[in-house]
Amino acid sequence: MVGYIDKIKEISERLLKDGKVDMVIGFRKGTMPMMNEPHRVKSADDVKNLVWDSNCGINLANYLTDRKEKIGIVAKGCDSRNIVTHIIENKIDRDQLYIIGVPCKGMIDSHKITNAVSGEIVDVVESNGEVTVKGDGFEETFNKADVLQKNCAVCIHRNPVIYDELVTDLVEEQADVDRYEDVREIEAMSTEEKHNFFDDLLAPCIRCYACRNACPLCYCPTCFVDESRPQWVGKGDDPVDIKTFHFLRAYHCAGRCTDCGSCERACPVGINMRLLTKKLEMDCLNLYGWEAGLTLDNRPPLDTYKPDDPEEFIK
Amino acid sequence: MPEWEPKIVAFLCNWCSYGAADLAGVSRMQYPPNIRVIRIPCTGRMSPKFILAALRKGADGVWVSG
Amino acid sequence: MEFMGIERDRLHLSWISSAEATKFVEVVNNVTEAVRALGPNTHFIKNEAKVA
Repeated sequence: MVGYIDKIKEISERLLKDGKVDMVIGFRKGTMPMMNEPHRVKSADDVKNLVWDSNCGINLANYLTDRKEKIGIVAKGCDSRNIVTHIIENKIDRDQLYIIGVPCKGMIDSHKITNAVSGEIVDVVESNGEVTVKGDGFEETFNKADVLQKNCAVCIHRNPVIYDELVTDLVEEQADVDRYEDVREIEAMSTEEKHNFFDDLLAPCIRCYACRNACPLCYCPTCFVDESRPQWVGKGDDPVDIKTFHFLRAYHCAGRCTDCGSCERACPVGINMRLLTKKLEMDCLNLYGWEAGLTLDNRPPLDTYKPDDPEEFIK
Repeated sequence: MPEWEPKIVAFLCNWCSYGAADLAGVSRMQYPPNIRVIRIPCTGRMSPKFILAALRKGADGVWVSG
Repeated sequence: MEFMGIERDRLHLSWISSAEATKFVEVVNNVTEAVRALGPNTHFIKNEAKVA
C-alpha cells in the first residue's frame, strides 16, 4: 500500500504536464500524525508533496462538487462510489474527471490508536500490515487489522468502481463479512431501549457539524440546520435538536450513502453516527436491492417508480 | 383533569385526501376531531422534516395521506 | 423512525382518492385509535423556553 505513492505521483505528474487536467486532488502529509489532509496539486513541481498511506480516510469526492475545471482525483473504493453518486446527481461531469483508482485495504482509525496509548503520538510508521506509533517515551506496534476504521473492517467494495487508470492490481474483496450486525442488534431492542440507546449515543454531540462537512453527500448550499425560516432545528445542545439533526441528516443520505466512514472519522467526540446511515443503507439493499454508487446506468430507487415497489406500509 | 385525547397532525394532499376530507364534510360524515389537517400541494411536497417538526412540537401522531 | 425509538404506530401513511370520503373517515378512525392506544408522545418533544 505504501508503494502506491510512486505510481500516483507518476500519473499526476504526467497528467499535469500533458495539460490533461488542471489539478489533481490527492493527499499530503497532515500537520498531525495520522491526519493526512486533502491537497490540490496544480503544478508538476508540487507533485512531490503527495502522499499515500493508511491515513487517507477522508473522502475526496467531497471536493468535486460543482467544480468547473478538469480534475484528476485519487480515488479509493468508497471515493469512487461517491464520485458515481456525484455524476448521477449532476454535481460533476464524467468528462471532467480523470480518476486515479487506488485499490484500498482499509484505513486506520486514529481514535482507536490514540485511545490505546498514553501520551501524544509524534510519529507513525507503517509496514507489512503493522503500524508502529512513537511518542515521548513509548513505542507501540499494532496489527493494522485491529486498528482499522469500523467501516473499513466490513467494507465489501475496496476496489474503485470507475477509474481511468489503476495504480496497482485490484485487491481481493472481503466476502465473509457481516455488514449489518450492529444494526440488527438495535432493531431487536424495544422502543424504549432504542430511544435510550440513541440518547446515549448522541449525548456527547457538540453540533460542530464536522460530520456534515466531511460528508461528500452534504453539499446543499443551505443545510436544513442553517435555515431559520422556518427553523427546523434549534441551535443549542438540546438533546431533541441534536437528534433531529442526526436523524434528518441520515434521511438525506438514504440511498446515497456509501458508508465511507468520513462522518465518523471526522467526529471529534467519536460518535458512531454510521449506525443511522447504515440502517437506511441496509433497508435500501433489502427493499430495492440497491447499493449506492456502483453504477452510472441505473437511477437510484428513491427517484424512480416501479409498480412492484414495496408498499406494505401504505394503508 | 380531562381525559387525554391524542393530537394527530395530518398532512393531506390537496388533490387526494384533502378532497376526500372535503367530501366527507359535505356528506356530513362523522369522524374523530383528533386530527389537525395541514394541506400540502401534493404528497411530493412531504419531507421528513415536517414529520420530525410535528413530533418536536408535541404531536402524538403523524398521518401522511396522498 | 421505528429504528430511532419512535413507535411505529405514531406515523401513518395512506392513499385515498378524493372520491373516497368513506375510506377517509375509516382511516381517520384507525389512525386515531392506533395513536390513542400508544398514549401521549413523550420522546422527541422539544420543550420551548417558557415566556411569561
